[in-house]
Amino acid sequence: MPLLEINNLVTAFHTPAGRVPAVDGVSLSVERGKTLGLVGESGCGKSVTAMSILRLVAAPGVIEAGEILLRDASGGVLNLVTLPEPRLREVRGGRIGMIFQEPMTSLNPVFTIGDQIAEAVLLHRDVSRAEARGRALEMLELVRIADPTRRLDEYPHQLSGGMRQRVVIAMALACEPDLIIADEPTTALDVTIQAQILDLLADLRQRLGTAILLITHDLGVVAETCDDVAVMYAGRIVEQAPAAALFAKPRHPYTIGLLAARPERGSRAGQKAGRAAGRLRTIPGMVPAPQYFPAGCRFHPRCAFARLPECAGEMPELREVATGHFVRCPYADALGEPRRLDEPRGQIA
Amino acid sequence: MTSPLVEVAGLQTHFPVRKGLLRRAVGAVRAVDGVSFSIGKGRTLGLVGESGCGKTTVGRSLLRLVEPTGGSVRFDGRDVRAAGGAELRGLRRRMQIVFQDPYGSLNPRMKVRTILEEGLIIHRLGTAAERLERMTRALARTGLTAAALDRYPHEFSGGQRQRIAIARAIVIEPDFLVLDEPISALDVSIQAQVVNLLVELREQLGLTYLFISHDLSVVEYVSDDVAVMYLGLIVERAPAERLYAEPLHPYTLALFSAVPSVEPDRRRRRIVLTGDVPSPARPPAGCRFHPRCPLAEQVCREAEPPATMVDGHAVHCHVAAREVERAGGDAAVAAACMADLMAATAAASATAT
Repeated sequence: MPLLEINNLVTAFHTPAGRVPAVDGVSLSVERGKTLGLVGESGCGKSVTAMSILRLVAAPGVIEAGEILLRDASGGVLNLVTLPEPRLREVRGGRIGMIFQEPMTSLNPVFTIGDQIAEAVLLHRDVSRAEARGRALEMLELVRIADPTRRLDEYPHQLSGGMRQRVVIAMALACEPDLIIADEPTTALDVTIQAQILDLLADLRQRLGTAILLITHDLGVVAETCDDVAVMYAGRIVEQAPAAALFAKPRHPYTIGLLAARPERGSRAGQKAGRAAGRLRTIPGMVPAPQYFPAGCRFHPRCAFARLPECAGEMPELREVATGHFVRCPYADALGEPRRLDEPRGQIA
Repeated sequence: MTSPLVEVAGLQTHFPVRKGLLRRAVGAVRAVDGVSFSIGKGRTLGLVGESGCGKTTVGRSLLRLVEPTGGSVRFDGRDVRAAGGAELRGLRRRMQIVFQDPYGSLNPRMKVRTILEEGLIIHRLGTAAERLERMTRALARTGLTAAALDRYPHEFSGGQRQRIAIARAIVIEPDFLVLDEPISALDVSIQAQVVNLLVELREQLGLTYLFISHDLSVVEYVSDDVAVMYLGLIVERAPAERLYAEPLHPYTLALFSAVPSVEPDRRRRRIVLTGDVPSPARPPAGCRFHPRCPLAEQVCREAEPPATMVDGHAVHCHVAAREVERAGGDAAVAAACMADLMAATAAASATAT
């Protein structure tokens, strides 16, 4: 049984302009000790999905439907959607740790590093202040911060970005959670520092057996760290598979487009003869805002393989095309050749 | 060989660190500390490095948006640092910049018309009717219509805003663009659109680019030559295909290996550098990379490495210099040796932990 199971989650924002379904029927599961990558572009609903798990979606956002099941080792199940607030507080930071993108905003600038890690321990464990501080020191060592005793009494501004993110990881791990939700944990960091943090996360996962839900827009990060991948587009999961299978053979036109939009190593602009040759493949247009989700397949207006009118009719179901490989596209097995969609020009008026 | 459009020699831009009641300068942040390169007409130089390495300051120093404190910048043979008043204005008409964040770089209270027209008015280009024609043409080149003129920036998506920023830069028909992380704030599917646009404009208008980015694969795709910066200095510079095929500097090797890739055969052993980039206010003695370099030796702590030239490839590294000499000047062999040395240290540190 998976550690975390999300079934048909719907989270919508009730704005003056109307109901905005940011997450529209998402189902996911994270196995104990595994890493699931949730990928998509800004506005696809990946962060709202993560925030929904801990019921941290700010008003006017509301979880309208679905269940979020968290299992413990002895088979007990909690539904986080209906769990009373006091019990949910035990889960937040206790059984589920959280790492956000910008470490400076998730650390309080007026408290020391040591106090902030100890606070998490004091909230969830029956320990003395001295014990909590000892645990904080242990955690700093675990995340490989040099000179941890000195750092314990320092403030966030005295640390570099990479070290701050290590502190945030230490806080998230302090109560030995079963699951860590990491929302773009390395996006604000440089590549060499990103490599350090990804290395650290992989190492900790191996040693502590913590499952990770990694939310990112970077397919490279997913390829290097995740066991499974779910690709989100416009509030829905469009493809889900083991990472190796997804990158070896992406099936959904959106995933195919995302992978093709990145320049390959060794490719150069205009090297090949001919006007259009040597250009990057693009996905035309842009991600629609939730108010403007198109009917049918939400990707069809941007899809190089779209068949009309079929794709504009029914919303396609997520179906299994190979073992463990799910795709929300009825033509995933026989996409054929992509049509050349020239970039739409002057669509503003 | 025509003379280069942009020639930079020994460029230094230091920012004073002021302290105390009298705000006396007590030190300097050496953001750019002796950078030299040249860009031929119609060519693109990619400038890569991590945050704080000084790449943005280089771009701004060229246009004198920040004042360089040393070295020389020549644009089409003319001394940019000595130019004043009308001459500087004339030069600036020919050099424009596109910034990273299209949300911050467009004034939210101005209509697109005002944003685009400002430069034309300052440089006294054309009558009102001609200005409108130029603006319409610039918008069309970036994939927008004249209908955009009467709208405000907030009515556009991030990708469209960056198109407006590019239209603003090209509307006065410059020769040279500094592109400072022009796609970093955009989504992946939009990045490719903007990269294609920049490449098209370069071909159609014969533009010369300084392309500043931390995204190594986009830099490779766009650039003719690439320079890698670390702590205010260029540590390696070469034609793009040479640099990517045969990186010689340990920092370049580590940077390349750190980029996560979706191609399984690219996922070789990562060289994970320890520590953080030191502060440019107190750069380390000797080679600035030595505190993080797995190959550092005694000489690296003492002497700043001079440039070693091999087949148009310049590298500042004592170890690489020795490998180049051992390889008899064969860059490919030297690069293979450097890669082996780095891989060996990565393997050693992996078994140690």
